[in-house]
Amino acid sequence: MKSNKMIISWSWREIWFGQLWPVMVALTLIIACVVALSTLALRVEKVMTNQGRTLLAADLVFRSANPIEDTLIEKSLQQGLTVSSQSQFQTMAFSDQKMQLVTVKSVESSYPLRGVLNLENQDKQLQHQVNSGELWLSARLFALLDTKIGDIIAIGDAELTVSGVIKDEPELVYNPFNSIPNLFIHQSDLAKTGAVQVGSRVRHRLFLNGDASALAALQENYQLQAGESWIDQNKQGRTANLIDKAKQYLSLTILMVILMAAVTLILTCLHYARNRSETVSMLKSMGASRTWLRLWLSTQVLIMFVVAFVAGSVLGFLLEFLLRVPLADILPKDLPSVGIQPFLFAIGVALCIGLPALLIPLTRLLDAPAINVIQQQSTTHYSKTSWWLLLLPFTALLVFYGSNKLVWMVLIGLLLLFLFLSVLSYGLLQMLGKLKWRAAFSLALSRINRSPKNSMMQLAALSGSLMLVALIWLIKTDLLGDWQQTLAPDAPNVFALNISPEAQQGYLQQVDKLDLPRSDAFAIIRGRVVGINGQPATDHIAYKNEDVRILKREINFTWAKQLPTYNELIAGQWTGEKTVSVEQKVANDLDITLGDKITFEVNSQTFVATVNSIRAVQWQSMKPNFVFIFSEDVVADLPATWMLSFRAEQAQSELVNQLAREYPTVSLLDFRTMGNKIQSLLRQISWSLTGLASLGVVSGILLIFTLLRLSLSERTREITLYRTLGASKKRISHTLWAEYGLLAISAGLVAAIAAELILFSLMKWGFQLPTQLHPSMWLILPLLAVLIVFLSLSSVIKRLLKPLR
Amino acid sequence: MGTSGAGKSTLMGLLAGLDQPTSGSITLLDALISEMDDEQRAKIRGESIGFVFQNFLLIPSLTALQNVTLPMVLRGNEDDASNTLKAKQLLDEVGLAGRETHLPTQLSGGEQQRVALARAFVTQPKVLFADEPTGNLDQKTAQHIIELLFKMNKEQGTTLILVTHDANLAKRCERTLIINDGQCQESR
Repeated sequence: MKSNKMIISWSWREIWFGQLWPVMVALTLIIACVVALSTLALRVEKVMTNQGRTLLAADLVFRSANPIEDTLIEKSLQQGLTVSSQSQFQTMAFSDQKMQLVTVKSVESSYPLRGVLNLENQDKQLQHQVNSGELWLSARLFALLDTKIGDIIAIGDAELTVSGVIKDEPELVYNPFNSIPNLFIHQSDLAKTGAVQVGSRVRHRLFLNGDASALAALQENYQLQAGESWIDQNKQGRTANLIDKAKQYLSLTILMVILMAAVTLILTCLHYARNRSETVSMLKSMGASRTWLRLWLSTQVLIMFVVAFVAGSVLGFLLEFLLRVPLADILPKDLPSVGIQPFLFAIGVALCIGLPALLIPLTRLLDAPAINVIQQQSTTHYSKTSWWLLLLPFTALLVFYGSNKLVWMVLIGLLLLFLFLSVLSYGLLQMLGKLKWRAAFSLALSRINRSPKNSMMQLAALSGSLMLVALIWLIKTDLLGDWQQTLAPDAPNVFALNISPEAQQGYLQQVDKLDLPRSDAFAIIRGRVVGINGQPATDHIAYKNEDVRILKREINFTWAKQLPTYNELIAGQWTGEKTVSVEQKVANDLDITLGDKITFEVNSQTFVATVNSIRAVQWQSMKPNFVFIFSEDVVADLPATWMLSFRAEQAQSELVNQLAREYPTVSLLDFRTMGNKIQSLLRQISWSLTGLASLGVVSGILLIFTLLRLSLSERTREITLYRTLGASKKRISHTLWAEYGLLAISAGLVAAIAAELILFSLMKWGFQLPTQLHPSMWLILPLLAVLIVFLSLSSVIKRLLKPLR
Repeated sequence: MGTSGAGKSTLMGLLAGLDQPTSGSITLLDALISEMDDEQRAKIRGESIGFVFQNFLLIPSLTALQNVTLPMVLRGNEDDASNTLKAKQLLDEVGLAGRETHLPTQLSGGEQQRVALARAFVTQPKVLFADEPTGNLDQKTAQHIIELLFKMNKEQGTTLILVTHDANLAKRCERTLIINDGQCQESR
């Protein structure tokens, strides 16, 4: 027992005085980062799920073109789920004075299962469900139908009294084209309307709430028929896009910080093993058995893991708290708890990286021969049995990240780049070594070239860390830049729709006169895609894909003389006659390429157009955007209405109202409040990402600093020798400056090349954003490297140049 | 004795069971150590052999006292109090009383070698191998260490095997072997 106590106290000392502390710092950093970032990611994800479900009005929605079968409802109830059904259709609503096309949502009193429904009656009192015999209208309908609460409205064959106005409702669709106002009635009144008949276009929804497992089981056991589909919060499309990318960035940052810490871990362990081989030989000469040595080393490893885990968890917890501060306004007050999952994940990651990084060099240490105490052996045979530990991180990577494209791209990219770059920089240094230089430089070069393996490793570690630091920062900058651009402060925020061709010119002039910045006006023609290259759309393979809805719904077409400048041309050219330009995602979904012939149908009239170009469209940009843009000759003669978007500030409400009064038939969709909300959301996310990126950069720089100090302290013996041989302080320090300076500049350049290449592929294929060059990085990275080298060198050079004792 | 490269250290490594011969056999304290594996030889070293090295080889993260008790711990001798007592006595004997808690970096070369001497004798080894024990020390300190070495050796009745260049030092030993080009020969 006593000897165990001695081993433990000795292990402590080894860790603090024996250069194992950088290993522990790296381990702690890994755990802290993983805990902080994965806690944050989990929380954001849960919040997103809740918000997504609020929008859906339920945890899960079953959508069908046919009435929901009783068997499905029974099955759901058997699974312990809560259900509520809805039927939705479009019809004409008649008041005494006017009529209007409306979307009728017929719901049960239990609607909505998630989110809030606020209905306000005549006495300004709120109620949250729709009761039998009631009729609730959206605010716009009061004007369009020229009616008030208490009036009678005819919907199909039913006549209902207006109960009040819809203030808030879930299931909001963020789609400027969905301009048909809606109203709520109760399911028990649906039959009276006579709307549900054979052949009528009624869409049915079944809202479901309950256990995730029960929901999954229900989906699993149900065979979807044509026209049926499930919707959950993950299919909420464009709205989630922004947060989704932020989340991807989060996991990328976790990965990069882990990679950097892993590099430090490996190098410090190797350094430790080299330094301690003499001690192990000595212990062996004094009779230490392998069992004893194993106990000694594993006690050290155990202590390090335990301490790193405790310190890392606390640090990670604090870090997450700090990262959350700028997000306070977006996240709900009562944060969803995350349990112990992040901590388990952190232990897993630390073990996966730490075990091989520590145990492989330490096991080799066990093989240090006892004879080394009196005679250094030229060759020692080290067992390679512990190399199987390398399987650990790779298996874990396969299991957890097997399907994450971004992560694989980064990893494979890193590997290939390093192979290429190390060959390149090695060649460069060799070439430089052949040229004539001043003494300090040629000494430095010969030193670098003399131990190529060592120099290469240093170069790789240095440039690798620099590159990761650059990536963390630049991806953030590019992401934010893109968001700022798509949701620029001067982005349009009001849409004007249904402008008749006769009123179009006058309307444009009026908007210009009011000095509201506007987009071009676009014609809107409603139609469908009915065939591709002569094959009917219903036979197309994408028709059966429930995620691809483009072939199953009506689409807004437009025509143009020139493509909108804010659409990026991906392939082809805007030319000629009888042609159409297609948005790239739809082109992908439908497997459309340049030259394909697509058949369209508008008002039962079919026509064919040849694909002349593919465009990238930023749907979030609030500018008029279209999947299909035709050349003028194809559709210009078809009946159309016009639309445009313009920018109005909050203070310009009077101008917007004036427009509404002057052109009562034009529908105005005002997104000013929503736009402001998105702007502030963006600002908060930017803050959080910037905080995160700064943290990543700072820890990366600290790691580089540690690495350099380690490498310098390994040189002590050699430098002492130079001093003994009479080299002046000046000569030695010049040589060191030259050597590390060369290393820093080449590492900086290599890092810049690598970062630029990886960034390009990440942006292009990972985040699917436009790519750009970063010339300032080419200067900043080498400078940063030289600066770090300067700091670490000046922190140790005094000690290195101490005279001999 | 012997010139550099004559094979002194190789011979010592073999005699102490630190290395294995490619042919022939070695018997140490009635044990045929050339037939033993690493672990068995380590056991013999722990029980009956001590070392003093040219470059001291103290553990930098342990105090002087802990460095001295280390061989006892390696032996599995767990009586902490008696180990400490014994180590303190030895440190006292080599003139380092009061410096028990110092780390090797806080000691001079001569002091470090004195700690190493105390460490070598703490297990009361039957055979003590000393590889150029004064090679890294100035003459005055070296003289002092040698006196200590011979004194302690006499007190404890240990067989001392000393590797050295120094003819005067060699004269103080009972037998002197000169090794030259792999051939060994009794001097005088």
